[in-house]
Amino acid sequence: MSAGPYGALLDAVRGVRWPAARRVTGATLGAHPSQLRGNSSEFSEFRPYRPGDDPRRVDWRLLARSDRAYVRLTTDRATFRTSMIVDASASMAFPEPAFDKWRLAREVAVGLGAVAHSEADPVGLAIAGPEAVVLAPRARRSVLLEMIRALDATTPAGSVAIAPLVASARAARVVVITDLLGDASELLAAAALRVASKDEVIIVHIVAGEELDPPGDALLAVDPEQPTLRRILDGEMRARYRDAFTRWLDEMGAATRAAGVRYVRAGTDEPAPHVVRRIAGETARRGA
Amino acid sequence: MTFLAPWALAVGALSAVGALVLHLVARQRPAAFVLPTTRFIPDQRTLVSRVATRPRDLLLLALRMLLLLAAGAAFARPVLTPARGAIAHVVLLDRSRAVANAAAARARALVGSGSPVVIIAFDSMPTTLAPAAWDSVTASPRTGAPGSLSAALVAARRAGAALAQRADSVQLHLVSPVAASELDAATARARAAWPGAIQVERVAMRTDSTTSWRLEQALPASDPLAPSLPAPETALSQRTVRLVRTFPSAADSAVARAGGTIVRWDTASTARVAAEGLALGDDVVVAALGRASLPPAGRVLARWADATPAAVEQRVGTGCLRDVGVRMPGAGDLALHPPFQRIVRGLLAPCGMVSPEVAASDADVAMIAGATHAVAAGDVLRAGVAQPSPLAPWLLALAIALAVAELAVRGSAREEA
Repeated sequence: MSAGPYGALLDAVRGVRWPAARRVTGATLGAHPSQLRGNSSEFSEFRPYRPGDDPRRVDWRLLARSDRAYVRLTTDRATFRTSMIVDASASMAFPEPAFDKWRLAREVAVGLGAVAHSEADPVGLAIAGPEAVVLAPRARRSVLLEMIRALDATTPAGSVAIAPLVASARAARVVVITDLLGDASELLAAAALRVASKDEVIIVHIVAGEELDPPGDALLAVDPEQPTLRRILDGEMRARYRDAFTRWLDEMGAATRAAGVRYVRAGTDEPAPHVVRRIAGETARRGA
Repeated sequence: MTFLAPWALAVGALSAVGALVLHLVARQRPAAFVLPTTRFIPDQRTLVSRVATRPRDLLLLALRMLLLLAAGAAFARPVLTPARGAIAHVVLLDRSRAVANAAAARARALVGSGSPVVIIAFDSMPTTLAPAAWDSVTASPRTGAPGSLSAALVAARRAGAALAQRADSVQLHLVSPVAASELDAATARARAAWPGAIQVERVAMRTDSTTSWRLEQALPASDPLAPSLPAPETALSQRTVRLVRTFPSAADSAVARAGGTIVRWDTASTARVAAEGLALGDDVVVAALGRASLPPAGRVLARWADATPAAVEQRVGTGCLRDVGVRMPGAGDLALHPPFQRIVRGLLAPCGMVSPEVAASDADVAMIAGATHAVAAGDVLRAGVAQPSPLAPWLLALAIALAVAELAVRGSAREEA
C-alpha cells in the first residue's frame, strides 16, 4: 500500500491502540472486549449457576471441591465499527494557501483510521463536502488507501450539513472532524442521539491559529461560506473578536460534553500524530 | 485654438483634480481576508478612511479625469482661431439726399488694399456692399432718401463683430456730411455700442451749393406764404421758381420743359379748414389747414397725416411741374413757425431739390467721433456673438463614451472585490 505523504504519519501512529470506551456488542472476533461472554479461552470470572445456563459451562472441578455449582465466564472480544466524518466545507480551507485546517483534518482521519484498522476494526469514511463521499466501514486491507484517495481528491468548498451523516453513519464509533462552524447545534443533537444509543461519538474540533489570532494586516474579514458577511477587524474589534471566539470555543466544549460526546480540540499547530495519540490514549484511559 | 467659455475648462480641470484627490483620500474598502470565524467580529462599518500616497484604481482614475476634462472642454466650446490681420475697416458711406458727390470717392480712398473691409452704404436703410459694387456706388452716389446714422451704426456694429473674427481690431470710418437730419434720439445709444473711436470724414452737403433759389416774382407782403420765404438778399441765384395760382399756361409748360420749375399753389383761403398734420421730410406741422385736390400721378413731396399726398411733382422735359394741395387759413401765425417755413421752402424749391440740410453741431460730431482715439478691439466686438464650436459635439461624445467605459470598469472592479 502506498500512503504517499501520509507515510510518516502512519509510521508515527504504528503501535497505538485505540480501545473502545465500553464493551462492544459486535459478534465478529476482534480486539475490543465484548459485552458477550461465551466460550473463549480468556477466563474472566465464576458466577453461580442459574437455571437456564448451559450445563456445559459448569465448572465441574469447582463443584466437586465446593459442592456448589458455578459457571465459568470468559471474556469475548469483538471488532468495533468505526466511521470518520470529515467536514469539507469552505471554512476548512483555511488559512490560505496551505489550508492547514483541512490538512490536519485529513491527517487525523487517516491516522485514526490506521489505528482502528490495525486492530482489525472496520473503518469507514464520510466526507461532508461539495461532493458527498461515503465509504462504508470495511476491514479489508485497501480501505485505508481508499480513504486517502477520497480525502486527497476533495477540495473544501461550500456549506454542507454534517448532522445527517452523523445520524446515518453505520458504525458504533463515530469520529466527527470539523470546525463546528456549520450546523453545530444539529450536529450535537444527532451526536446526542447516537450516544443515547450506546454509540461512541468523538468530535475533533479543528481550530486554526489564525482564527485565534488573525494576522495584523487582516482588516476586512470575509466569511468563506457567506461572502456577503464582511466585517472590519481593527483595533477594538480585534480584541472583542478574540473574546467572542474564545467564549464560543468554551461554550462548544461544554455543550458537547454535556451531550455525552467526547470533545477534542486540535490546533493546526499541533502535529497530527499527537492528536491521534491524544484521542486514542484518552480513550484507553477511560476504558481502563 | 481659443475657448468661448474658458471658465468651463477651468471647472473641468478643477473637477479632475478633485477626482484625483478623492482617489487619494477616499474611503476605501481594505483588501479582503478570508476568515471562517468572521461571524464573531462585531458588526460595524466596512469602510475606512485612508490617505494613500498613490491613487488607487488608476484605470478608473484616468477614465474619470479624462471624462471631466472632455466634458469641461466641450462646455468651454473650443474654436479654431483663424489667422487674423492687425486691423480691419468698416466704412459707413452716406448715400442719403444730404450728401454731395464726393462721398463715394472719399470712401474709396480710405479703403486700403490687403486689409479686410466692409462697406456699408446707408440712407434710411443700411446696405452692405460687395467689393464689386463699388462702381455702381460711384456712379449713383445719392439715393434721395433721408439718412439715418442710427441704422448705419447698428449695421456697423454687426459688421464689426463679424470682421473681428479676422482681425485684432476694427476701425470704423464714417464718410458723411453728418447732417442734423441724420441724427435722431437713438443715435447716441447706437454710437455707444461701438467700442472705439469713429473716424469721421465729413464731405460736403448737397445743400452747400445748390440750395439758393428765388421766386421769379416776389410775393406781395399780403401773401400768406410771404413770411415763410427767405429774405430777398439771400435769394440771389440764377435758379428761379415760377409760382402760379391757377392751371399753368402753355408758356409755363415751355418754361418747365426748358428746365424751370412751375409750382401751382393756390393759397386762397377756404372755409373747410380743419386740424391737419402736414409732413415734408423731417418737418411736421399741425395746424388748421385745408386740402385741395391733386393730380393722381407724380412724385409725392409732402403728405398729410393720413398719408395722402399733399404735394406732387411731375417731370416735364428737363424741368418739373409741382402741385401743392395745401390751403392756408385766412388768419393766424402759422407762416411764422419755423417747421412750416421749412415746409414752404421745400415746396417752393427748384425741381429735384430737397429741403435744405443743416449740418449737425460740433458737439454731435464729437459725440459720434468719440472721446477716445483707439480703434475697437476685436475681442470686445466678438463678445456676446454666438460662434459655432465644431469640436464641442465631438468632445461631448467622447465624454459620454468615457462615462460608459467608466461604468463598465467600475462594475467589473466591484465584481472582483
